[in-house]
Amino acid sequence: MLGQYLPLLALFVLAAAFAAGSFIASGLLAPRDPSAAKRAAYECGIVPTRETPERFPVRFFLVAMIFIVFDIEIIFFYPYAVAYGGLGVFGLVVIMVFSFAVFESFVYLIGNGALEWGPLKQVAGPAGAVSVQRTTGTTVRRVGLEDRGYAEGVGTEDADDTDEEAA
Amino acid sequence: MILAADPLYGGDLLGDILITLLKAGVAFTFLLVAVMLMIWFERKLISDMQNRIGPNIAGPWGIFQTLADGIKLFFKEDLVPENADRFVFKLAPYLALVPAFLVFAIVPLGGDFNRKDGSDGVVSIFGHDTFLQVADPPMGILFFLAMSSIAIYGIMLAGWGSGSKYPLLGAVRASAQMISYEAALGLAIAAVVLQTGSLSTHDMVIDQAAGGYGGIIPNWNIVVTGFVPFFVFFIAGTAELNRPPFDLVEAEQELVGGFHTEYSSIRFALFFLAEFMNTITMSAIMVLLFLGGPAGPALFFPEGWWIGTFWFFLKLMAFLFTFVWFRATLPRFRYDQLMDLGWKVLIPISLAWFLLLAGLRLGDDRDWTYNETLAFMVGCIITFALLGGLLIGAINTARAERVREEADRG
Repeated sequence: MLGQYLPLLALFVLAAAFAAGSFIASGLLAPRDPSAAKRAAYECGIVPTRETPERFPVRFFLVAMIFIVFDIEIIFFYPYAVAYGGLGVFGLVVIMVFSFAVFESFVYLIGNGALEWGPLKQVAGPAGAVSVQRTTGTTVRRVGLEDRGYAEGVGTEDADDTDEEAA
Repeated sequence: MILAADPLYGGDLLGDILITLLKAGVAFTFLLVAVMLMIWFERKLISDMQNRIGPNIAGPWGIFQTLADGIKLFFKEDLVPENADRFVFKLAPYLALVPAFLVFAIVPLGGDFNRKDGSDGVVSIFGHDTFLQVADPPMGILFFLAMSSIAIYGIMLAGWGSGSKYPLLGAVRASAQMISYEAALGLAIAAVVLQTGSLSTHDMVIDQAAGGYGGIIPNWNIVVTGFVPFFVFFIAGTAELNRPPFDLVEAEQELVGGFHTEYSSIRFALFFLAEFMNTITMSAIMVLLFLGGPAGPALFFPEGWWIGTFWFFLKLMAFLFTFVWFRATLPRFRYDQLMDLGWKVLIPISLAWFLLLAGLRLGDDRDWTYNETLAFMVGCIITFALLGGLLIGAINTARAERVREEADRG
């Protein structure tokens, strides 16, 4: 029975050897010309001025912990899935009670905001600040038209009286 | 409960070892070539969908483009950032690549499953009877889940070991996404295991090769488990692979290169290779779990193991095409939409469906009457609807609470 795992070991050795061989080949073929700019952390050209923060939002940690709970639940489903025949109706009721217990804790987590990721709904801003109506005057700004023979003010809000009258 | 095992082991030791090495070597080579062709296929297909030509210079139809890119990457300078944790930085590509190879070992690749006399799928290599899959451990499909989890380690450590905040954020987001969808993946697989009664991948193919409904609809698990586990697995699998539309972790506008920002030359190539290898193996697993794997009618072929291989490749190509199609057509999910989908939609749905299926399978085994089955189903549906309402209530409560907090603060 243990022999079934021998091919996995063989494939593991092959894959690890491939990766190691690639690194060795790269070590032989690649140039080595380190400079300070190359070794610095990449931030789209901005030179990092502060120490690298090694922190990340705690929401990710919560997700990982919640995943552990659910993974344990799923682990219990697998033996049941293989042996459901022998366990009969009793087993079915037990597994349903078990999943209800885990589901109930899941509902509690969600209700407490552990899995809240989204942006809040945008509350309407102060009245009059942004016009709901979109005109070419508010969304399109033409530049550089002065020397093309157009009258000044084309494309600005003053020129688009017709749209607002029709609204 | 353990029905079938690879009949290779038990005979002479030397022959077994040699056949094992042969199978592993062939699978390894095949997988590397398949990844090369998959990358080419994706580039060509996307360019076709975008009305351009794509790679066409390196070899006929640009087939050697991937090889050229890989060889070019060998010659690039290999930089290790100064803040990097050197050991972790160098370990991460191994952790991403090796599981990608290993998952392929449990996938049945061929064999004649039409014989139905107990020797289904058995081929004879140099006189030794064996299956056309690299390994058939008794816990087959659990191995797949285990390897996907280790691949997450690769990504997480890559981001951490880079010593820079963008890779760290990218890696944390990627791993949070992957573990969220792994729960849904596990539940969909549990539904299939319920149907098969065994974890071994060979048994899954045998179960699906049996006669179907009226001889027309095959006994594939996509039909037998209802279509829900298939769709859940498909969506969760796409998210697990970080493929579009769930590829926020690789979105250039967001996080530069995400977890592999600081990786150059061959280290980056190994991550890239691992991602496409995972795509191929996830498609293969989907074919195995839901579409019957290598099982298929003989049609006009003469008897032999190539029937299985032909059907397997046909089904695999359908899924690979669909993945590339997603990339070409669908816009990206936002991160919170992605996490909400994984936790609040897929997990409850697959959990409810698993319990429903468990009851129905048990009823089928114990020969419940029609009324009993109907009563059970109605009871389930009502209970699940109530619990679903509870869940929606909880979601709304949480959101209202946050809005109130923001309003109080602002």
